[in-house]
Order: sequence, then structure tokens, then C-alpha cells
Amino acid sequence: MRRFRIHRFGSMMLAGLLLLAGCSGNAGPSPADSGQTGQSGQTGSSAGGSTGGGEQVTVSMHSWRVEDAEGYKKIIEAFEKENPNIKIDFKPFKATEYNTILNTALQSESGPDILQLRPYAPGVSLAEAGHLEPLDNLPGIQNFSKDVLAAATGKDGKVYGVPLSLNSTQIYYNKKLFEQHGLSEPKSWDDLIGTAKTLKEKGIIPFAFGAKEGWLLSLSHGVIAPGTYNGNAFVNKILQGQADFTSPEFVQSIQRMQELVPYFPENFAGLDLNDTRTLFFTEKAAMFINGSFELEGLQKMNPDLAIDFFPMPTEDGNTVLTTWVDGSYAVNSKAKHKAEALKFLEFMATKQFGELFANEFKRISAVPGVQTSDPLVNKMAELSQSNATPYLMVVHFAEGNPTTKQTLENALQGMYLNKLTPEQVVDEVQKSAASWFPPFKK
Amino acid sequence: MKKRGKSRWLLHLFPLPALLIYVMFVVYPIFSAFTYSMYEWKGIARGAFVGWDNFLTLFQVEPFNKMFWNAFGHNVIYFVVEMIVQNGIAFALAFLIYRKIRGSGFLKIAYFMPRLLSVIVVGFLWKLILNPNYGALNTLLGKLGLEEWAKPWLGDPDTALLAIILVNCWFGIGFAMLIFLAGLQSIPEELIEAARLDGARGATLLFRIILPLVMPSITIMTVFTFIQAFEAFELVYAMQGSQGEPFRSTDTLAVYFYRLAFSGSGGAGDVSIGLGSALAVVLFVIVASVSAISLKLMRKREVQH
Repeated sequence: MRRFRIHRFGSMMLAGLLLLAGCSGNAGPSPADSGQTGQSGQTGSSAGGSTGGGEQVTVSMHSWRVEDAEGYKKIIEAFEKENPNIKIDFKPFKATEYNTILNTALQSESGPDILQLRPYAPGVSLAEAGHLEPLDNLPGIQNFSKDVLAAATGKDGKVYGVPLSLNSTQIYYNKKLFEQHGLSEPKSWDDLIGTAKTLKEKGIIPFAFGAKEGWLLSLSHGVIAPGTYNGNAFVNKILQGQADFTSPEFVQSIQRMQELVPYFPENFAGLDLNDTRTLFFTEKAAMFINGSFELEGLQKMNPDLAIDFFPMPTEDGNTVLTTWVDGSYAVNSKAKHKAEALKFLEFMATKQFGELFANEFKRISAVPGVQTSDPLVNKMAELSQSNATPYLMVVHFAEGNPTTKQTLENALQGMYLNKLTPEQVVDEVQKSAASWFPPFKK
Repeated sequence: MKKRGKSRWLLHLFPLPALLIYVMFVVYPIFSAFTYSMYEWKGIARGAFVGWDNFLTLFQVEPFNKMFWNAFGHNVIYFVVEMIVQNGIAFALAFLIYRKIRGSGFLKIAYFMPRLLSVIVVGFLWKLILNPNYGALNTLLGKLGLEEWAKPWLGDPDTALLAIILVNCWFGIGFAMLIFLAGLQSIPEELIEAARLDGARGATLLFRIILPLVMPSITIMTVFTFIQAFEAFELVYAMQGSQGEPFRSTDTLAVYFYRLAFSGSGGAGDVSIGLGSALAVVLFVIVASVSAISLKLMRKREVQH
């Protein structure tokens, strides 16, 4: 009996040891890491802001874009050439794991000096927790438009990130199919419906569209809706609580989503992004409502595709392009090399960085006035300067639980399955927003 | 004597790795989920201790309560359909193979085949078959002149859940069949002989003699099916994603849990670890208690041979 107890004790000890080994194995690199950076941190702070002389400093930088590592290498080289005392250690993590890794690092105060910030509410919540350095005085930050900076602006009104790139959503169309049938870019909603009607009569699917994936529904609504409410005027009213989602303009936007149904592919309720993308690049469908991030893929799938896009015509005879900021870069408020980190962010706000970025990644740089080698990307960039309206659900209504964005997606799906009327969709959206959106709570 | 003691000492070490893994990956997460469920969460930062608040939210606040009962209902349907379709067919097949019809060896392998595929592959495969535009099923219906039967199977809320469950049945039949077959084959030949001599034939033989004797495998399969039905996640996720699309018609408790705890839509703003943990605890209680009770009750009806 006694011997048994000893055995049990022995095995527990063993288990304990193994557990300890496991733990220290995990924690191992981080103290060593911080020791190293801590050391160089001293030299860094002694050098202060003056980067003229002194020793080299390594600034750590975290991102969720593993696929961009190569491109960043070139961009960072350009920076390091001008700032020989600063070395940037770019470290990307898997996108889906990034938030967890970053949050735990920030909590244990072992976070990076520079971090990529998720856009809008989810990202700036880090500022509320005191993890971010305000950047209002960063040289160059004033060049960005207010809408762009909004993606990295905290509830206290301070800017916490340098915006990186813009996403836009619009209606892509097949130029060849349009020309064959004597069609041109529609200038109004009725024009759009007329175009769709003509295409349908010629046996071409007007819209490559599927209702199986909810996020594509809110994305498409984000393109259609600003046409009914003329872009920003209504957005501002909503934000100030002078209008809500039961306003006639918004109700009409949902009705228009329904009005498009006859021009969708057969069985569209069961189609996902893959199916609709295929319909478009195989030239079975003439139009495709989707994001700037689809462009490169579409061109790759069918290099012969004569692709172009048009922004959404509005009721007052204008057009709007729906945009939002896709991530920005921020400085950790407890950064070991704050001065050097700020120096790099200053670089990220320059046109030089914007051009490097846009050409390297074929995306719209958030830096104003940057040109790329791709004419369609340039057209998107221009329109996003002159005719932009925010993707309302991502920019302002990605909060709540489930988020108002998700609520809209689910309700639109219900509408396309004939379970909800447009008025019921609006009610659901309003109810969700009222549960958290401060101006609606009053 | 001494030698024997030494080897005994060693014996205690053998279960250690398994135990360690079990504690680390099963026992510890259950307890941590329970503690997590008692806190308020701001994103992934733990906030104040709130006691049972998360559980109350789950059951009393819209839309959480609606989504819970909606998903719960789907789990029940999952269980019922699997019991009838999967286990019914599996038992029939096992019985045929047990009676040694021609080619039973081949059949055994053929029915078990789907099980060799990973669930993700199965989901992808059936997504292709059920695709409304170019899927094999709708094409086949068209060829048979039944165009009006063609449907967006996974996009129509009336058929989506059933389609997924039937795919799960297709996937699970082989395993259930093997369990039943093992049960059937463990019945002593003499017992059946004796029953035959006493004049039992056909249905009588099946229902009065064979079924009670294979009750242990039926018990096991029922509990298995229950656990599987209430933890249904992979296939739903592979075929429909984390939103229980379309229109929450394929939501199950595990998918709902995933959405709550890890945020299905990719944004980080709507993660609610507290609610997710509370749901995980509820799910654990449902599965553990029902499994325990049903094992206890059904064991009573088993016959020893």
C-alpha cells in the first residue's frame, strides 16, 4: 500500500515535471527575446530622436499578412537605406491567429513596437485599453482624408494608425458582352435595370450573384444602397442620429436588392462566391458586384476577359464608389523604441511608401494621389478620392452581438428565401443597431 | 518476488502519457471553459467576474435564446434522422451480411469506404454533387426528366439541413454497420439453433431472440449517435460555413458555439468568449448527462447470453 502511494507520488511528480517542461518550452524564447531587445533599447533611448549617430536599433513590427512578407522586404530596404541606424524586423502571423497573438503579447507587455491594426471598431478597441500611441502629430498624417483616418480613430477622437490601403466595391462588367449588345455603363438605376433586362433577353445572365454566403449580401448591399441615399449625406444623418434605418431611402435600398432578383442566375440561393466568380470569368454572366481584392484573381483566371467596372449611379445624377480602409499601422504605447517606430510610421505616410506599396501589392494605397501600373486600380484610386462613400456596415456598424452587419446579412438571406419582406429586413437591422449604437439609444 | 514488484512499478507508468494528454486536452479545457463562462469579456481580455450572467444571457436575451433553441432543435432532428436512416439502414445491412448473402465480404468493404475519407473531403465532395448549377444530382434529375425536382439543395432552408444530415448518414453507415455486425456475430450459434428448434422463424426470431441479444451494440450506437448529433460541427462547417446558412436553417449548437467564441465573420469585434464558454458548458452538460442516463437505462434492458 505504502509502495503504491510512492508510485503514485512519483508519477504525479513526473507529470508535473513534464508540464513544467512544456510550459518553459513555450515561454523560453520570449524572456531571451526581450532581454536582447531590452539591451538594444537602452542604446536606442540614449540615441533618442536624433538618428544621426550612435548604434543600430531593431524595431519589431507585426502583421497578419504572411503573403506580403516578400513585398515588405523591398519596402523596408528602401527605408533602411535612408535610416541606417534603424532596422525593421517584420514578422507576419497567420491572419486568423493574429488577434490572439497580438492581444496576449500586448497584455503581457511583450508586444511589438509597430503593429498592424484591424480597421474600425475591432482595432481601435486596443486604443481604449491604452495599448496605442496617439499619432495626431505625426508628420504627413494630415494628408489623409478624415474618412480614411476614421478606420484608425478612437472614440476619444485621436488618430492611432497610419492607414495602409483602401478596399473598394463596385460593379464589374464584361466590356465585350456590353459592346456586343450595344450597352454602355448605366447612368441611373432605371438604366441599370434596363441594361439587365436587355442582357436577360439575349440569354446572358445579367448578374453573377449568389445568396449562399451572407457576407457577399452585405457587400452587394454596400454597393447598391448608396445609390438610393446619395452617398454621404445620409450616412452623416445616420451617424448623428437624425435618421435611422427605417428611413425611406434605406428601405428603398433593400427593395432594390429585391428588385434585382429576376436578373440573378437560376437557383442563386445556392450559389457561393466560387460559383458566381466562375459565372463571371467564363463570360456567362455580364456583371459582378464585388471588391477590388477580386480584380487580380479574375484577371488571372481569364487573361482574355475584357473587364471594367462602374461606380454606382445615385438618384441625384452622381456616382459613388463604396470604400473602406483595410488595416493600418500603429505604435505600441509601451514600445521599446518609440522614436524609431514613429520614424517608420512617418515613412508609411509618404507618397514614396504609397507607390512602393501599390506597385508591390497591386492594391489602392491609402496615401492620397498614388498611381499604380494597373489602369483599373488607378481608376478605383481616383474615384475613391473624389466619389467615395463608406461601406456603412463595415465602417460604422460592425459592432453589437451579433453585429449589425451580420444581422443585415442574415435578414437579406431571409428576404431572398421569401421568409422576410424588405420592411422586416429593415426592422431587424434597426433593432440590432438600436441595441448598441449610441445615437439610436437616445 | 522482487522482480514482479519492479514490473508492477513500471505498469503504473504506462497509462501516464495517455493520462497526461487526457488531462491537458480534455479535463483542463472543460474546467477552464467553466471559469471563462463566469467572467465578462472585452474582446479577448478578461473583465470582471459576473457569475451566471452569461448563462442568463444565453437563455433570456434575444437573439441568443432564439438562436439557442433554433440550433437545439436542429440537433434533435439530426439525432432522430440519424437514428432512423443511418442506424436503420446500417442494421439492415449488418443483418444481410450476417446472414451471409452473396458478396457480403465485398459489401462490408464498400459500405465502410466513405468512412475512410476525411469529413472535409466528404463535405466538399457533396457540395459539388449538390451544386445547383453543375452538380451531379441536379444533372441526373434533368436527364431523368425530373427537372422540376432540381433544387439549390444547400441554399434552400427547407432542404439544407436534411441534405447535410443525409450526407452524415452516408458517411456514418459503415461504422454503425460494423458495430451491429460485431454484435450479431457475438451471438452464440447454439442460441439461434435452439430458437429455431423451438419453432421461431423470421420476424419472431429477429425481434424476440436476435434484437435483445444485440442490445449492447444498439445501446452503444445510440449513445454514439447522440453524442455525434449534438456535437455536429465539421460537416456543417465544411458545407455551410459558420453562420448556419442559409438563414440559420443549418445552425447546430456546436456551430453556434464556434460563432460566439471565435467570431464566424472574420471580424474581431463580435467575439464573446464568455457566452461561447457558457454555451460549451451547457453543451457538455447535455451530452454528458444524457449519455450517462441513457447508458444506465438501456443497460437494464440488455440480456446476458
